Amino acid sequence: MSRVPPGGLPEEGKPVVLKKLRTRAMQERITAYCFLLPDLIGLFIFVFLPIIYAFYVSLHDWDALNPMKFIGLDNYVALSKDMDWWHSVGKTLQFSVIYVPLLFCLSLGSALLLNGLRGKVVSPARTMFLMPYAITSVISAIIGMYMLDPRNGIINEIIRFFGGSSQQFLGSPSQAIYSIIAVLLWINIGYNMIIFLSAIKEIPRDYFEAARIDGASRWQTFRKITFPLLKETNTFILVVTTIGSFQVFDQIMVMTKGGPASSTEVSVIYIFKQGFQLLNMGYSSALAFVLFLLIFCLSLVQMKLFSTKD
Amino acid sequence: MRTVRFNAQTMLAVIAVILGLLMIFPIYLLLISSMRSEANVLEVTWFPVEFVWQNFKEVVVSTNMMRSIGNSLFVSITVTIVAMIFHSMYGYALARLHFPGRNLIFSWTLSTLMVPFAVITIPLYLITKNFGMLNSYAGLIVPSIFNAYGIFLFRQFYRDFPKELEEAAYIEGLSIAGTFFRIALPLSRSIIIPLTIGFFVANWNSYLWPLIITQSESLWVVQQQLANLVGGGYYTPWNVVLAAAVIAAIPTLILFFAAQRYLVEGIKMTGIK
Repeated sequence: MSRVPPGGLPEEGKPVVLKKLRTRAMQERITAYCFLLPDLIGLFIFVFLPIIYAFYVSLHDWDALNPMKFIGLDNYVALSKDMDWWHSVGKTLQFSVIYVPLLFCLSLGSALLLNGLRGKVVSPARTMFLMPYAITSVISAIIGMYMLDPRNGIINEIIRFFGGSSQQFLGSPSQAIYSIIAVLLWINIGYNMIIFLSAIKEIPRDYFEAARIDGASRWQTFRKITFPLLKETNTFILVVTTIGSFQVFDQIMVMTKGGPASSTEVSVIYIFKQGFQLLNMGYSSALAFVLFLLIFCLSLVQMKLFSTKD
Repeated sequence: MRTVRFNAQTMLAVIAVILGLLMIFPIYLLLISSMRSEANVLEVTWFPVEFVWQNFKEVVVSTNMMRSIGNSLFVSITVTIVAMIFHSMYGYALARLHFPGRNLIFSWTLSTLMVPFAVITIPLYLITKNFGMLNSYAGLIVPSIFNAYGIFLFRQFYRDFPKELEEAAYIEGLSIAGTFFRIALPLSRSIIIPLTIGFFVANWNSYLWPLIITQSESLWVVQQQLANLVGGGYYTPWNVVLAAAVIAAIPTLILFFAAQRYLVEGIKMTGIK
């Protein structure tokens, strides 16, 4: 039955507490904005602004030296007729369509394999699968070039040992893209495997126990329990690797520079050449903007596809 | 029944080890081939047959590799330290502080995750050029710092941070900034260590951006120097290239073996949505 005494709370208490609270709230806001400021400015200038700036520059004819000349949407009209550009888009899609499912399956397969292991072999096996992740992209490209050397590479040595004939690999317009994919798979399986593995470990054991009691085979357990329960991880890996596959640059630049005969000239390489070798800043910005929209739409579609399906 | 199970396990283990060896074979091959003489380096070998340490000496003496390694160390360490400070502050503010516009700022920050780096290189180059940072350490460092991924992971971490500690600090009379720097930050090791490793490796790995932003060889980073060695002319001195690659791989390999637990921790973090 504690009622507020007539005249409100004791005179000295109320305003002081309120004032203290108010200054505390003020202090919190000021601190918050101070904490946000450095990254807010940085993200705005170096991440957000470039996308807008790309569109602005794309409306101009510009070689980065002389003044910009406004030409409206001419760059976009030009790119729609640029067969080399569409060739590079095709190459990007081809690369993605081969690379992403392979990486997905191999990473998931490795995770299932490691998940099935027991005892002392678990840790060394994981270390071996993950170790290529510690090799940087340029080094992986160098190792790839060394192993795939048309005359003396160890892969050709193995092929010859089994009676085959030497292959050109990076020197062949039909094989170069697969050679690059092989190198990328090699260094990226470990990373995705770890993500799958930790997701599999989070599935309650009871589910597997129940499946075992019901006499489900390994394949049935995977198809009916493991895979459906990995839905979020599957989406995550697919979206991230697809976006990543559209941006592969390092290995291609080192191993083939887009060749031979443009067979590995993906969009990022083509944009790089237009921008930094031919100095077509306006045109290459238009290309970059279109690629951005392409990646953006694709990841939206992918997220929709994999999050609504049961 | 018991033996069947045992055999299945053994078979799995054997398959895993064979595939694992296949995965590390290229690294092994790099290592043993880096010690072969110029004349023999392109001759296939499965076992270490010669030890030409001269290759490593040649990398140090006749290429600018050491200078580039210094550049890479400087750039990667600076970016990592600054990023950790900025991102932890930003993440903490988003997770724990109340201020008008919090949700808006958070959504905007998340939206920058949608910007693919390889696509913005041209405008980024032009912006960096406008700031007069072309061909400079600042140009290598500053644009590499800002990354919503790090912010996002810090925010997740601080959201689960025990409130009691902050309340205690408040009663003790610490300011909000003081609470963050003296209470929250020192207790953030479990996020800072994996992120530090992740940021360092990513920056050590960086090739496209340095390639665009630097002209003078004195500013080249490790990956540029390596790429230049292998594609510099018609003739590739494989013994020197491979030795240089081994030297360049040392920092990340050391990190891999010394901190594998944290590396795995960091990978898992990025996989959590």
